Amino acid sequence: MSSALATRIAAEHAAASASLPAQVVSPERRRNAIDTLSAEGLPTTRDENWKYANLRPLEKVRFIPPAVGAQAQGSATVTAADLPAPIGGYARYTFVDGVFAPALSAPVAKAGITVTSLRNLPTPLHFAPSKSKDTRFALLNDAFATDGASIRVSAGTDCPTCIELVFIATVEAQTGSSYPRVELQVEQEARLGLIERHLSVGAGANFVNASVKVDITRGATVNHYRVQESGAKALWFDTLSAVLAQGATYKLHGVNVGGLSSRSTINVLLAGEHAHASISVASLGDRQQIQDAFVRIEHSAPHARSEQTFRGISAGRARVAFNGMVVVREGAHGTDSQQSLRGLLAGPEAEIDVRPQLQIDTDDVRCAHGATAGKLDDDMLFYLLSRGIDPATAQRLLKWAFLEDVVARIEVPELRRQIERSLAGQMQEAWLIGPPAAALKELL
Amino acid sequence: MLKIENLQVSVDGKPGAPLGQPILKGLDLEVNKGEVHAIMGPNGSGKSTLAYALAGRPGYEITGGKVTFAGRDLLALAPEERAHEGMFLGFQYPVEIPGVNNVYLLKAAINAARKHRGLPEVDAFEFLTLVRDKMKLMHMEESFLSRGVNEGFSGGEKKRNEILQMLMLEPRLAILDETDSGLDIDALKVVANGVNTLRSPERSIVLVTHYQRLLDYIVPDFVHVLVRGRIARSGDKTLALELERRGYDWIIEEAA
Repeated sequence: MSSALATRIAAEHAAASASLPAQVVSPERRRNAIDTLSAEGLPTTRDENWKYANLRPLEKVRFIPPAVGAQAQGSATVTAADLPAPIGGYARYTFVDGVFAPALSAPVAKAGITVTSLRNLPTPLHFAPSKSKDTRFALLNDAFATDGASIRVSAGTDCPTCIELVFIATVEAQTGSSYPRVELQVEQEARLGLIERHLSVGAGANFVNASVKVDITRGATVNHYRVQESGAKALWFDTLSAVLAQGATYKLHGVNVGGLSSRSTINVLLAGEHAHASISVASLGDRQQIQDAFVRIEHSAPHARSEQTFRGISAGRARVAFNGMVVVREGAHGTDSQQSLRGLLAGPEAEIDVRPQLQIDTDDVRCAHGATAGKLDDDMLFYLLSRGIDPATAQRLLKWAFLEDVVARIEVPELRRQIERSLAGQMQEAWLIGPPAAALKELL
Repeated sequence: MLKIENLQVSVDGKPGAPLGQPILKGLDLEVNKGEVHAIMGPNGSGKSTLAYALAGRPGYEITGGKVTFAGRDLLALAPEERAHEGMFLGFQYPVEIPGVNNVYLLKAAINAARKHRGLPEVDAFEFLTLVRDKMKLMHMEESFLSRGVNEGFSGGEKKRNEILQMLMLEPRLAILDETDSGLDIDALKVVANGVNTLRSPERSIVLVTHYQRLLDYIVPDFVHVLVRGRIARSGDKTLALELERRGYDWIIEEAA
């Protein structure tokens, strides 16, 4: 980052700081964040793990949120019709330009689950600020966050079909920025199903910078679905950090289809023995889109298990990148780690970057990784053509088949249908391929 | 139904290889309605090349000759158009396509053919009733339908799946490439029975096979022996029996 940008961020923060809510992030913490950013800058494409991200448009962003200290202006322009269809059993909480919008939410009381707007939080959870160089965008969120969702799941609570968070961006980046924020704490032996989606209303070039913190305590399980369907001009940044205690399970399903430029930074720390993380990401890029994802899984305790699955398709002049890193610390013996990263080039000018990285500091580990990038399989294509299927449909079928490893893991049928529709875009024969298991059963 | 005149085909080598390798060197064959023809021949004689060239596989370059199928210039048609016109290729090595369900492939294939004929999409109930009947005939379990195309199938299961697709598509001309290879005797009988149910005065079948064994169960009207890219000898089913007895060497010598 140019020092000019750092200076401007600090100046914008100074101008806005009096009206940034102290309950959401304390003034000291905001100041510390700005100090760190001023000293280190935001990442640049010269940083090893940022070379595929699109950082230049940041120069034109106004980092101050549109509605500091007040209800979001945007919520007036967003109506229920702009929201995706509700998903049965999930209580919806909607945030417009980073501020909770009660009128667009349908909270449902669930025993053992507390969902609070960060502005109304009596006692903050005190997640530690991010320290890694790759999580600096979370500091930018710390500095400017206006609201967010605090979710606490008490010990033993079983809520597999539970919460849906919808983050909507409406504001133009030249006018202001959106800072979605989630702080999630799941106590021991609890189980939570969480859907998190990001979309835009209006055709604006939004700047969205989300920060999500996840703390999963002993024996607890979280199934987390994240869908990024921002508008076609949006700049979308995201930093997710999760810590898993002993025997905890975290299943993250990410789907990236929206935005002009999107970068997701995911850090998972397996801090307890027998913890299990399964991170699946599907990214689709077309036109001039950039879809960049970085996933770092760190094993610091023995006998933990992790899987990374990535399926990316790049068409048009898009660039789709996935950088999957596995770090096994000394003493994390018995680690079992698997990576399956696959990219598909669907156009002569498209770009795919799939990069597995392993750093292993202990013996007695099992790490299997596979990474491929290529075109559609000619033999498969000819087989379908020989059955009378036209080339365009055959190619779409094979793209679906390619995504199936990730899409099939979406265990919420309604969400899966919505995601399939989103992935299919205008495709008429979406029903034909990758149908939800339930629909298939109906048919048979 | 199918008329092949002086067909010459080269096959692309590995990328970077300068020239295609000529495989078929002037092949003539005429298959009339209702006939079953067996194409036999030693390894490397061009049997599979003939099957792929007729189906329009990329990499099989037609360097000469003419093929007429149902009155049309076959070589001018794209692979999917050949299927629409009623040609079916049963693959020697059916490809696995994880993530595409068998049932959807079948339905998409049938609807593609119907669309070509100006018919509406197949009724879901009729379709499933038909699939179930044909699967019983092929001794296939219903769970096959929801699995990926050929995904994790044994060799025999893949071949049965090819015949199931053929039974559903009811082609005018079926070209079955080594459909018998890798089958045990029970599976061979099931496959042959499936093929035989499709025999009709309106339909033609070309069996490409290395061994005579299949022809005990699907009795051909004509047997042709392919040697070095040409048909070296034609006869009736007794020719296959003679080959079984004497091997291919005498024909290769005659052809030389």
